[in-house]
Amino acid sequence: MIRWLPGVLRSVARAGLGVALVLAPGVAAALSTAIDDSGTVVFSPSVPMRWQALSPRHASGVLMSGSTVVRVRLNVTAWLQHSGRIYLVLPAQQPGSIRASWSSQGRLLPGQVSSGGRTLVYAGPISAPFIEDVLQLAIFVDGRQMQRAYELNFRFEMDAG
Amino acid sequence: MVPRILSALVLAGAPLGAWAFTVAIAPASPQEVYLQVGVGGFTGNYNVGGTPGNNATVNKASVTVAAAAVGNGTAQALSTDSSIGASPYDGYIFCNTPAQMYIGGFYRRTNSGSNTATVTATVPAALVNASGDQIAFSRLSWTTSGNGDTGGQPFPAGTFVSGGVQTVGTIAQNQWAESCWTFRYSNTTVPPQGTYTGRVLYTVTAP
Repeated sequence: MIRWLPGVLRSVARAGLGVALVLAPGVAAALSTAIDDSGTVVFSPSVPMRWQALSPRHASGVLMSGSTVVRVRLNVTAWLQHSGRIYLVLPAQQPGSIRASWSSQGRLLPGQVSSGGRTLVYAGPISAPFIEDVLQLAIFVDGRQMQRAYELNFRFEMDAG
Repeated sequence: MVPRILSALVLAGAPLGAWAFTVAIAPASPQEVYLQVGVGGFTGNYNVGGTPGNNATVNKASVTVAAAAVGNGTAQALSTDSSIGASPYDGYIFCNTPAQMYIGGFYRRTNSGSNTATVTATVPAALVNASGDQIAFSRLSWTTSGNGDTGGQPFPAGTFVSGGVQTVGTIAQNQWAESCWTFRYSNTTVPPQGTYTGRVLYTVTAP
């Protein structure tokens, strides 16, 4: 359990094992820790979702898609000089079935994630207080559920070790 | 030692669920409907981002019946002046011009219902020549098909109803529908010589 904690807490745990055991339930809940991404900027205030092509010779198509650019800035100071795995998380939320895919400029891994899931975007040593990249983010939703505007929440989380 | 432990508790507890970035999304056009009869207004093909537009062209289907054949009961096929055989969906040569005329379109709507857009034809009572002689529109009918198509057509075969509004097809929600029509004149009467014309107006109505 201890291996998922930020460096400061690890040193405390080593300093007093009794304290670490007392903290254990809380630590278990923090296996994955949300990362401070308050420096992250989404370039488009509102992403227009457009119907994707449908085919006259196949089943109906109901996908809507839109894209935006996200300048990611993750504060990983708490994990400095440790290794970690960073995930992009798309929690289950309205309007329902959501998929997001992205390309990056290389600092983070490209990938895709569906609502309720997470995808690895970084694995390795944390050698700088911030991890930055620019993502071209595409979002896909079932157009039948897009009856109004929605705000989609993403977050980054760290599995340290 | 105690202060360090308190500090650690804060670090472990605060970040959980506290950070997130938000992307706002909104439907650019919650409802869309498009109908094309003959020449349409698409710029580019739909499946590669083409966009629909308006086209004021009124296409014509016509036939010249030879004097010896007038009224002999042999149906006469009309040909169209539409040059559009390719589907604006993907450019596929769906109709054979000038024998056939393209009719197609799509209907988009952001809900989970099973709505249907209806295509109707508003038909005059008759085709009329310069002398005022008439041929009932009901003497014109059409067959339907499409290259490579199987199964039923969204715009089925039919016969014009003289002086009325009739449904000629439907487009289901979030579908593209298209057919190719071949018109024919029944040629069972002997009207006075002349050029008979009439205009049918096609309308798509979506809930």
